[in-house]
Amino acid sequence: MYNTRVRGILIQGNKTYSDVSRDIIRPMDDKTPLWWWITAFLATGALFWGMWGFYNTISTGIGEWGLNNNVAWGWAIINFVWWIGIGHAGTAFSIFLLILRQKWRTSINRAAEAMTIFAVMAAGLFPLIHMGRIWDGFFIFPYWNTRGPLWDNFNSPLFWDVVAISTYFMASFVFWYIGMIPDFATIRERTTSAIKKKVYGILSFGWIGNAKGWLRFETAALLLGGMAAPLVVSVHSIVSMDFSVSVIPGWHTTIFPPYFVVGAIFSGFGMVLTLMIVMRKIYKFKDYVTDGHLDAIARILTFISLIMGTAYTTELFMAWYSGNEYELFTFMKNRVTGDYKFAFWTMITCNAIIPQLFWFKSIRKNITIVFIISLFINLGMWFERYVIVVTSLSKDFLPATWATYEPTITEIAVFSGTIGLFVLGVLAFFRFVPTIAISEVKGVLKETTTLKSFNDE
Amino acid sequence: MNNTNIIGVYEDEDVLLKAIDKLQENHIKIADVYSPIPIHGVFEKLKLTTRLPYATFIYGAIGTISVFAFLYWTSVVSYPLKFGGKPLNTLSFIIIMFVLTIFVGTLFTFLTYFIREKMYPGKKVTLPVPRTTNDQFAILIEKDQNMSDLEVKKLNELLKKTGAVEIKESE
Repeated sequence: MYNTRVRGILIQGNKTYSDVSRDIIRPMDDKTPLWWWITAFLATGALFWGMWGFYNTISTGIGEWGLNNNVAWGWAIINFVWWIGIGHAGTAFSIFLLILRQKWRTSINRAAEAMTIFAVMAAGLFPLIHMGRIWDGFFIFPYWNTRGPLWDNFNSPLFWDVVAISTYFMASFVFWYIGMIPDFATIRERTTSAIKKKVYGILSFGWIGNAKGWLRFETAALLLGGMAAPLVVSVHSIVSMDFSVSVIPGWHTTIFPPYFVVGAIFSGFGMVLTLMIVMRKIYKFKDYVTDGHLDAIARILTFISLIMGTAYTTELFMAWYSGNEYELFTFMKNRVTGDYKFAFWTMITCNAIIPQLFWFKSIRKNITIVFIISLFINLGMWFERYVIVVTSLSKDFLPATWATYEPTITEIAVFSGTIGLFVLGVLAFFRFVPTIAISEVKGVLKETTTLKSFNDE
Repeated sequence: MNNTNIIGVYEDEDVLLKAIDKLQENHIKIADVYSPIPIHGVFEKLKLTTRLPYATFIYGAIGTISVFAFLYWTSVVSYPLKFGGKPLNTLSFIIIMFVLTIFVGTLFTFLTYFIREKMYPGKKVTLPVPRTTNDQFAILIEKDQNMSDLEVKKLNELLKKTGAVEIKESE
């Protein structure tokens, strides 16, 4: 699978195979650290608050939210798109880098994929809650019913969304899980605890690691990866069509699908960077997630940030060039200036300007600054969705119906609840699953150590 | 079939690959190789192939066709209902067909993999060399019942010569 040598040493410290297993499994064998309990406590608190918001929404209705006749989509859709965007990184990271033969993915792909799973879970909650009558949620599936039978509208992007996101979730989960099986077997054979042996024995599906098994494993992983790669592009294209097939100024543009896909990968890589910096710090994984890895992610982000900047500029240009005064109003009077200028300029600053600092090597080398910039990217991408959803809806064709939008405490609660869910998921991942793909790291280890001795000569 | 196996344990994949060459030169049939990582050389030398990609293609094709059939039946035959002046049998079906083709392909490839590997949650296995999931590599050679002691001894020596750190026999 891997033939090119581009990046030199990927794993520092002349590790042997058993060092790799030991280092990566160590955090799972250690006593649960204090930071874990504190974070889990806070995340559970957020989750409970979110459940209160959820209860409020369901028992009283969508009226609990700050929505009105004009702004019928508020935080729910913003957060949905934000989480889905983050959820794009894992598969994008893993699979695009696999296809591009970038071996440095091996230290990061597991964590990125885990993040995908939990982010998509968090995202999936929003359409469910937004339904209001959540108990009728099964209407979305084309089941044999007594109303005609009346089927779904298969031309609706909202239906495509359901299909695309459930497929994406399933495909990402399957790809993630299949990759973990050999690592679970490693734990099963290494551990001395009877409970762990039992649990990881079940999880490892009886993996033995013989030649035929590995061949099928690699083939299956490549096939699943190859099939999930177009999905990365299609899911967010479909999400963008939720907006762009409407006739609302600011939404009705052909740039939306590529612009959303790039934005999703941008926010996902931002979140990967945030999490990897945290993970290498607390687990002392500096030999595996090296400065070189972070540098590579930062370089990619610089490039994607340029594309984002181009997309924003193109939108503004097209608003003027189209000669459509509604478009021009939405962009110039309601985004660049006007009630929502703060959100617009936050978006531009965080997504198009701040990441350009990565051009400087000294900034890419300073992990603290890299971490802060990654947080800005996460924030900026949230504001991007806010700008798109709220500004276009708040002031449309009829000035008499113009309305502004403010989230209520219930919406904030639901959002923080999904953050709690995501953090709890990531914490469970940090604690119970090998956070780096052991067998994949071993696969590139030999080559990188050979390379080192080659350099020494 | 209660054959015992002779197992050569190695600690480096390059040594292992050379050992496989050596054994094959001596016309010894290698039953299996256990390793902590996939080694492409082993697949080539043992002439292993898999038909999984063909299976995936067939699943995908079945997925595309059956999804189209379902969409056509619901929208054109069962309950024809015009949406926004679009034709009943529309191009936008492609989107759902595309996504669900991937769905069907992924799910069934995943299941086929486990069925072919005879793997399931909670399956009990005993590895001949437990450390092959960690840092060792093992070549497994079936010990024929007709093998004389001399032949076994020769085989052991050969394994030793190819760099095996440990040689053992197991059920």
